[in-house]
Amino acid sequence: MTKNSRWVNVGFQIAALVLALLFTSLILLAAGAPPLEAYKNIVTGAFGSFKKFSDVLVSWVPLLLVSAGLLVTFATGLWNIGVEGQITLGAIATTWALRELQDTGLSPSLILFLAILAGMAGGAVWALLAGALKTFGGVNEIFGGLGLNFVATALTIYLIFGPWKRPGVASMSGTEPFDEALHLSLFPELRLSPWALVIAILAIVFVYFLLQGTYFGLRLKAVGKNFRAAYLLGVPTWQYMMLSFLICGALAGIAGAMQVTAVYYRLIPSISSGYGYLGLMVAMLVNYQAIWAAPVALFFAALNIGSIQLPIVLKLDSSLSGVLQGMLVLFVLIVEGVRQRIARRS
Amino acid sequence: MISDLFSVTVLVGILASGIRLATPYLYAAIGETFSQRSGVLNLGVEGQMLLGAFAAFYVTLTTGNLWLGLMTAMLVGALMGLAMAYVTVNLQAQQGISGIGFYLFGLGMSDLLFQKLMGTVETVKGFPKIHIPGLSDIPGIGEIFFSQNILVYGAYLLVPIAWFVLNKTTLGLKIRSVGENPDAADSLGVNVGRIRYFTIILGGILSGVAGASLSIALLNVFQQNMTSGQGFIAVALVYFGAWRPTGVLGGALLFSLINALQLWVQVLNIPVPSEIAVMMPYVLTILVLVTSVSKVRAPSALSKPFEREN
Repeated sequence: MTKNSRWVNVGFQIAALVLALLFTSLILLAAGAPPLEAYKNIVTGAFGSFKKFSDVLVSWVPLLLVSAGLLVTFATGLWNIGVEGQITLGAIATTWALRELQDTGLSPSLILFLAILAGMAGGAVWALLAGALKTFGGVNEIFGGLGLNFVATALTIYLIFGPWKRPGVASMSGTEPFDEALHLSLFPELRLSPWALVIAILAIVFVYFLLQGTYFGLRLKAVGKNFRAAYLLGVPTWQYMMLSFLICGALAGIAGAMQVTAVYYRLIPSISSGYGYLGLMVAMLVNYQAIWAAPVALFFAALNIGSIQLPIVLKLDSSLSGVLQGMLVLFVLIVEGVRQRIARRS
Repeated sequence: MISDLFSVTVLVGILASGIRLATPYLYAAIGETFSQRSGVLNLGVEGQMLLGAFAAFYVTLTTGNLWLGLMTAMLVGALMGLAMAYVTVNLQAQQGISGIGFYLFGLGMSDLLFQKLMGTVETVKGFPKIHIPGLSDIPGIGEIFFSQNILVYGAYLLVPIAWFVLNKTTLGLKIRSVGENPDAADSLGVNVGRIRYFTIILGGILSGVAGASLSIALLNVFQQNMTSGQGFIAVALVYFGAWRPTGVLGGALLFSLINALQLWVQVLNIPVPSEIAVMMPYVLTILVLVTSVSKVRAPSALSKPFEREN
C-alpha cells in the first residue's frame, strides 16, 4: 500500500467518525437532548482530570489485550466470537489459582505471577476448544464460540453460587474479595495498575511484531487470505489456525486475569463486561492493522468512561456510548463499502 | 415440596408457560432461518428484538393500542433489516461484524429512548388470553394449548407457514438456491440481492415481533436489556434446528420447557440448590451445542457476500 492511499484510508475513517457523530446527534435531538452538551460531558468525563483519564486507561487495558488477541485470529481469517468466554475463563482460572495458593505461604508476587499465568492458560484452553470444534467437528467458530460463551457464563454462576460462594449467603455480587496482599499494586490515589498497563502495551507490541515482522505472522496471514493456496504451498493450515486461537485465548485470558487481580479483586458474574464484543469492533475498525488498535481502543474506552456521568448531568443513560459505538461500526462499514466501490470503478 | 412438582395442576402450568415462553424464540429464530437459508448470518437479532420491544411498548403505553404497538415494532424491525440488507448486500460487509454493530446500536438505542421518553419502569395491559371456544374447555389440554394470547398462536402458526414457503414454493426454492450456490442461482436469472433483501427484512420484522411479544404479550413491561441474550440464543437455535423450521420449533420448545420448569421450581420454593436452578437454562444451551455438532451441513454460501462476475 502506498503512503498516499494509507492517508486516504485514514480520511475515510475520519469521515465515518464524523458521520456517526452527526447521526447520533440527530437521534439525541429527536430524543430531546442537546448533542453538543452531551459530547462535551463525554470529553470532560474522560479527560477532565488526570484521575478521570487514568480511569479511561483502566478500561483501556482489557480492551487493548482483547483487541490484540483478536487481531491475530482476524489475520488468520477466524471469527473468534467466543472471546467473551475466553476472558471469563481467564478470570475463573486466575481466581482458582489465587484461591489455591493464598494460604500456601508463597510470596504474594509469586502467587500473582502464577495466577496470571493460570489466567492465560484458562483463556487459551477455551479458545482451543472453539478451535477444535471448528477443525475436528466442522462447527463454524461463530456458533461454537456463542455456545462456549454461554457455558463460560454458566460456569461462573455455578462457581459463585456453589463451591466458591461467600461464607453465609451467595449472591450476584461475586466471590469473597481477595486479601489486599494479592492485589496488583496501583498508582497512588488511582485505580490504575502500572503492571496491567505495561502488560497491555507489551501485548499489542508483541502482536504488532508478530504480524508485521515474522515469518510466522506471514504464514498466519497466508492462511487467512487464501486457505487453499496456503495449504498447497505447504503451510500446515490447521495447526496455524489452532495456534492463532491459542494466542488470542491467552491474551483474552490475561484480560480476565487483570479484571480479577487489578479491578474487582474477586470473580463476578459479568466479569467480561462486554469487552469481547467491543474488542471485535476495535479489531474490525482498525482494518486489522495492529498499529491503530491502541488509539482506537483508547477512544472506545474514553467513550465508556466519559458517558458514565451522563445520567447525572443530562438524564441520559450511559447507553449513549453504545449507540455511538454501534453507529461508528456501521458507518465505518458503509464508508469502507463506498471506498471499495470507488476503487473498483477507477 | 418435590412432590408438588408432579401434581397435575403444576404440570399443566409448566407446559402452558413452556409453550408461551417459546414465542419470542420462535419468531426470532424462524426469521433468522430465512436469512441464513439465503446465505446471510444476522447476528443483530438481539438488537432488533430490543428496539422492537421498546417500540411496541412505548406506542402501546401512549396510544393504548396494542395493534399499533405491534405494527410499530414490525416497522422498526423492517427498518433495521433494511439497513442490515444495505450493508450486507450492497456494501458486502462482513456479516459477523455488522451484526454485532446492529446489536450494540439496538442495545444502546432502546435504553437511550427508554431513559429519555419514559425514565421509569411502567406496565401495560398486554394482549389478552384468547380462549378458543370448545377446545379451551378440555381439561389440561385446553389450558396448555388453547388459552394463550394471539402472539403465541401466531408463533406456532408461523412454523408450518415457514416450512411451506421454504420447501414448497418457488420463492423458497430461490431462497435456498441463493444460500447454497448464488452464482448458479444468478446465472439462472434469480436476483440474488433482491432475495437477500427480502429475507433480511423479513428476519428484521420477525425479530421486531419477537421483541414485541416480550414487552406487550408475555411480560408487559419494558426494561433495559430485557431480552438478556434471547436473540443470541435464537441464532443458536437455528443451528440446533439444522436450518429447518421444524427443528427450530423442537429446539425452542425444549429450551422453553426447561426454563418454565426452572421458574416453577422457584415459585414452589422447592429446595433445589440455587446454583443448579440458576444454571439450568445455560446447561441446556450446552446440550444444544454438544448434541447439534455437525450432523447437518450449513448453507454453503452462509455469511459469504455475493459479487456478480462480470
